[in-house]
Amino acid sequence: MKKIEINPITRLEGHGKIAIFLDDSGNVDDAFFQTVEFRGYEKFLQGMPIEEVPRTVSTICGVCRGVHFTAAMKAVDQVFGVTPPPAGRKLRELFFNAHYVEDHTVVLYALGFPDFVVGPEASPAERNVVGLINAVGADVGREVLRKRGLAVKIFELLGGKPSHAVSAIPGGWSKNLSEEERKQVEAWSQELVELGELTLKIFDDVVLKNDKYMELVTGDTYKVEVGYMGSVDPQGLGTFYHGTQKVIDSDGKLVGTFEGKEYLDFIAERVKPWTYLKFPYQKKIGPWKGIVEGPGTNIFAVGPLARMNVIEGMSTPIAQKHFEKFHATFGAKPVHHILAYHWARAIEMLSAAEKCLELSRDPEITSNEIWTKPTSCTGEGVGIIEASRGTLIHHYLTDEKGIVTKANLIVSTTHNNGPINLAVKKAARHFIKNGEVSPSILNYVEMSFRPYDLCLACATHTVTGGQSPLEIEIFDKDGKLYKRLKNF
Amino acid sequence: MEKDEWVVLGIGNPYLQDDRAGVVVTERLEALGLPCRIEQLLTVGFEVLDKIRGASRAIIVDACKLGNPPGSILQVSVDDIFSSHHLVNSHAVTLGTTLKTGIICFPDEMPKELHIWLIEVKDISEFTQVMSPEVEQAVGEVVEGIQRLLTEQPL
Repeated sequence: MKKIEINPITRLEGHGKIAIFLDDSGNVDDAFFQTVEFRGYEKFLQGMPIEEVPRTVSTICGVCRGVHFTAAMKAVDQVFGVTPPPAGRKLRELFFNAHYVEDHTVVLYALGFPDFVVGPEASPAERNVVGLINAVGADVGREVLRKRGLAVKIFELLGGKPSHAVSAIPGGWSKNLSEEERKQVEAWSQELVELGELTLKIFDDVVLKNDKYMELVTGDTYKVEVGYMGSVDPQGLGTFYHGTQKVIDSDGKLVGTFEGKEYLDFIAERVKPWTYLKFPYQKKIGPWKGIVEGPGTNIFAVGPLARMNVIEGMSTPIAQKHFEKFHATFGAKPVHHILAYHWARAIEMLSAAEKCLELSRDPEITSNEIWTKPTSCTGEGVGIIEASRGTLIHHYLTDEKGIVTKANLIVSTTHNNGPINLAVKKAARHFIKNGEVSPSILNYVEMSFRPYDLCLACATHTVTGGQSPLEIEIFDKDGKLYKRLKNF
Repeated sequence: MEKDEWVVLGIGNPYLQDDRAGVVVTERLEALGLPCRIEQLLTVGFEVLDKIRGASRAIIVDACKLGNPPGSILQVSVDDIFSSHHLVNSHAVTLGTTLKTGIICFPDEMPKELHIWLIEVKDISEFTQVMSPEVEQAVGEVVEGIQRLLTEQPL
């Protein structure tokens, strides 16, 4: 048996790899996405004053800093039994939507577009963000980066500190917005809307008008039939900062909706000995059925595509038109074609930009009533948001003084662990035949997990009983162990 | 942002053992009150460009894991660290890629003088603000080196 490894680690942000096992004929016998590093923040947070948690968890990841900050501050509100006043909540939403724009921009331009603009079979030396800029022109690259920088400016202006925000306080926000700042944010937000429209135009020109790419996007190779979860507002429209979690099965039927601590009734987690990353599954559908797709599976996905599948529409007008075009293109709902994650991400980027503009024009956004003073400690809080990569859950227990006694973080990449494994195996089986494994073929396999935009630093926070299970167990289709490998 | 200024950017997770080396260097430089703007980041993405664009000279300090003896100090160029790796996630954008992107897109706004200092880590598995002795010593040497650079080449 020959083994192929794709090692994604390039810096210190988190460690994982794909292992593909070939049979004696050179065809794919099995494939696994593994995470072989953990960070243990859940343990690290114990003993910390809960009001310090948002600032601390923002360091879980240098990229996803705003999402952990936001989920934690919502949980902290509950711990102290307070609700932010309208202006406080709107400032949080403005901050969060600006973060969405900057994050989605990076994912699309650094990760998604190079495969299409430069080409999936191009040399790796060209198939990257530098190659992308060479292809589209430095002027376009400069404009995209400059506009993305404006989203960062909004994020930092409201967050009160460069890079890692500090403005969250229990029951609100500590930094108000002056009229002068509001005008600046409005002008920047207008440019973010233009960035969203430019991005969708590039996607339209490069992907939607290219028959070969559309075959990839709408074909079966990159199709993973699982259930989905995402947040909806009272009208069923998409919402990022706060909503009700809607869960559907792989046929699109409603499994149920939940808020806060009710997540424990809907989501269970399965531990596998060969990865630090757990496998969440839909508990309401039944007991663990394995990492399988199709009708009856209780594996589910989160993120931009999942949100497109659970919502009835976008909450902003221009993005809504693209939402309609998206579903008209695929026809059936839910859409299981994972390369559509990139399209969904571009639509969401535009929607977040529109939301920034809408909030910047809200007369209430400059109110000084941005904080509700806490007066008690309930001892428990659950913060659920739609992070850019998907549903993020922060659950904390504290003592009567608000000192953290237990923390549970379920992050987007963890939710997507099952679908990622399914996607990798499917693509590997399609593209690797008779032992032929060229770099371009391997890229087609990598394209199966890039849409999820893995965040392994975020995903590996759980100390599983103090063990260090750095070994791999591979099971056959009957569930029997046939191979054990140690410490990759 | 002042055009004629030094900016020193430290990169790393302040809670993660040797990964915090770059951040500690900037903290110590700030305490010395040197004539430079201090910036810190936890990542090497496009935020790096936001911090250094417009400055005439920049120094970037980051931890690295390249297989050298722990505490090794490397002074590298953008080309040395530019990687053509096809990315698996957006977090894998490298410092070299970010800087190369900046040079292509913002040729007139990037620092005319760019120094990149890397410190080889020993251990990044513990959440602690205590670095390994090798990296601690290297941090001191980098602080001294940057201090000399700022003193010998004033604006």
